[in-house]
Amino acid sequence: MKTLTRQDLSALANHQASSPAEWVRVQLDTGGIAAGAESVCTTLEHARVEQKRSFSLLRVGSVGYSFADPVIEVQSTGLPKILYGKMTPELVPALLSEQFDAGRLLEDHVIATRTRSLTIDAPVTHILVRDTSADTANKTEFFQFSFQEELKRRGLDSRVQVVRALDMGIYDEGAVVQLLPSAVTYTNVLAPDVARIVDESVEADRVIEDLLWKTPDKQTRIVLRHCGQVDPDSVDDYLQRADGYQAFAKSLFELTPEKVLAEMKTSALRGRGGAGFPTWMKWKLTRDQPAEQRYVICNADEGDPGAFMDRSVLESDPHAVLEGMMIAAYTMGASQGYFYIRAEYPRAIERVQRAIDQNRELGLLGQNILGSGFDFDAKIRLGAGAFVCGEETALIASIEGKRGTPSPRPPYPSVRGLWGLPTAINNVETLAIIPAILLKGGAWYASHGTETSKGTKVFAVTGKVRNAQLVEVPMGTTLREIVYEVCGGVLDGKEVKAVQTGGPSGGVIPEELLNTHISYESLQELGSIMGSGGMLVMDQGDSMIDVARFYLRFCVDESCGKCAPCRIGGYQLMQILDRISRGNGKAEDLPLVQRICHAMQKASLCGLGQTAPNPVISTIRYFGEEYQAYIEGGPSYARKVKRAAADAAASTAPSKAPVSP
Amino acid sequence: MKTNPTVGGLEKISLKNADESALIEILEQMEHEHGFIPRDTADEIARLIEVKLERLKRIQGKLDSTTHQEIKHHVDHWRNEEGNLIMILHAIQNQHGYVPREVAMELSRELGVKLARIYEVITFYHYFKLQPPGEHAVTVCNGTACYLKGANRLIDELRIQLGVSEGQTTPDRQVHFDTVRCIGCCGLAPTMVIDGKTCGHVKSSDIAGHLATIKTVKETAA
Repeated sequence: MKTLTRQDLSALANHQASSPAEWVRVQLDTGGIAAGAESVCTTLEHARVEQKRSFSLLRVGSVGYSFADPVIEVQSTGLPKILYGKMTPELVPALLSEQFDAGRLLEDHVIATRTRSLTIDAPVTHILVRDTSADTANKTEFFQFSFQEELKRRGLDSRVQVVRALDMGIYDEGAVVQLLPSAVTYTNVLAPDVARIVDESVEADRVIEDLLWKTPDKQTRIVLRHCGQVDPDSVDDYLQRADGYQAFAKSLFELTPEKVLAEMKTSALRGRGGAGFPTWMKWKLTRDQPAEQRYVICNADEGDPGAFMDRSVLESDPHAVLEGMMIAAYTMGASQGYFYIRAEYPRAIERVQRAIDQNRELGLLGQNILGSGFDFDAKIRLGAGAFVCGEETALIASIEGKRGTPSPRPPYPSVRGLWGLPTAINNVETLAIIPAILLKGGAWYASHGTETSKGTKVFAVTGKVRNAQLVEVPMGTTLREIVYEVCGGVLDGKEVKAVQTGGPSGGVIPEELLNTHISYESLQELGSIMGSGGMLVMDQGDSMIDVARFYLRFCVDESCGKCAPCRIGGYQLMQILDRISRGNGKAEDLPLVQRICHAMQKASLCGLGQTAPNPVISTIRYFGEEYQAYIEGGPSYARKVKRAAADAAASTAPSKAPVSP
Repeated sequence: MKTNPTVGGLEKISLKNADESALIEILEQMEHEHGFIPRDTADEIARLIEVKLERLKRIQGKLDSTTHQEIKHHVDHWRNEEGNLIMILHAIQNQHGYVPREVAMELSRELGVKLARIYEVITFYHYFKLQPPGEHAVTVCNGTACYLKGANRLIDELRIQLGVSEGQTTPDRQVHFDTVRCIGCCGLAPTMVIDGKTCGHVKSSDIAGHLATIKTVKETAA
């Protein structure tokens, strides 16, 4: 590969990449591959060669719709881009003949676009329908039939196809209809409206105001801007289609490190790993420390169970994270960077390594990058399954090849970090945002979010939620909006009992507080934390004591054992909670639990021990009556609850058909 | 992941009183397949084909020099990097499926690091294993999403079906059963990984079927 020069990069900046007219993008991330995306991809490739088709097949990362994996996106002539979910290899022949030859869409697999247009600017060619009501009677087919009949009556059935959609992105709003290609969306459509829609919108291209869904999508994609759009294995794709390394070139040649810092300060970006320390300040502290050598580390040790944002970003857009790291390094004068990635994420490791190799070949890493005199290189270090290594001093010890035990702070890593030299540790998400901030400006970024927490945050919403997926919303969005409006509420139409944020270090937030606007401070007030972005939805059937014990067991297993409050306190808490859940709890147990929790919070050496009691404290705070019931009910009560839970599981398990969103 | 050398290929060795070159051939083939021959396997081979252990050890001494070469290769690759120990251990574990004691000792000599230091690191991290894994690996994800969606029922079912609990290998060394923190496929919860292949939305009633697949794979291979 030819070395890239400054001129090449500036030529790319003004260059409008021509993308092929027809393409299929297969979203190959760990989740997609587990659901069978590889075989869909191979079948597509075979069919393409056999049938001598002209579309190009692209391998991209995931757009985040985990509930619909494997997901593919198709662009064919004369049609808008269409996302298909729950693809199988068997559907491929039908997809190709229908979509590419006949211009028709596949039934039951289309995921409607989240852009909601307010005007019809092109004649309607397809109508997506889906009944999103919560009740079980599914009227999608009825509406499809009515539309088809109405169109047939007017002789439009050859021009307009009516398709059942897999997901509309709108929930509990009755029958939802989306007109393509304009993406005008109607909700709460009733049977009499069918004729009106055909009459007004299909024939006359007029929008029906009283049905129109005007609420824009809650999501704003900044971190996930390229996910599912660019090929994570190709630096060319990143350079051509994603303004790749333009922000880096800008900071090298147009801005000074001080100006980059100023821009970061304007953006008010705070660390996305969970603690929320201002990123610019971390960089400034590291930069101001006199030293020969400084380091920058990307913390990709996503040990929080139930969270997969970092994996997804690394797998879908590794170059953005690398670019962010290069900008950070330039700003601080660091010449060496490390990615600390969990060994359990082999695909993320592979893709980051490829990104690094490609950049070395292009001369974007190494000596005298782009002729600017700036030297920088990045390497990967693997984690080895220790949750505590997400803590920065433990992470540093692990990179140094030692046991990952934390050490007391201060001195902070920005003063004495890796090998005793100033080190800045940034989370994957933080680094991925940085190129966007430098290209569009700090003020633009700060225009999202709340007073104290600017920008957007990615959450991995999982658990008993209808559509488990990655969600990126501006700070200040409420938890209820995320759970109900973006993810479609709880599975099987049940009620939310609580939402847990922040993983083992966070707490539960009960249903009545779901209207809280998300920010670092508001979640902390509720006894939880922002954390790295795991968000777990629990329904009425979930026992809060069980959840608290689950997280506590996790922290006890993961405690490194260096300091006593965490090692002993965690174990004792575990014993008491086990006792309570067996019905052998005593009245004085709850105050004792509180005292141990307090001691752990105050005296533990690192974040793991300090935050380990959070799930316990918050469940006692909001669901104290559950604990009381166990203590007062005794063993017979505990047995009864256990049996009821087992019965409930047995009755739902066999009848559980593939859940349709 | 490498398969366990103590199981694979032993039934093939039926010849008794084999001459030395034939024996070397067999061992070399095994090493080629599995990457490494631990001492206890050597003992077992000796018992099976009724050769004197000393003779076998002498032959293995030649093979050990290849192990030595491998370690040297890994060490040379990482020699100039500071804090290389964990990365070398990852390379070893990828090759053997665990960190054999012989290899750790060899590494200690080659790297000039005390064996205790190496074991201190191995035992701290969950990822490194000291026991050879089974022929097949069945891993249940016990991340929060999977836990809420009934990973416990899968674990209970596997305990009954396999007769061992998490972290153990069945007595015939066929299946190693373990749980993992989170594999990041929360959208497919509950999930389990069978020999590197992830299965999503697993029900406890599916488990017998999955285990049967492992066995048929083995039979067709044999």
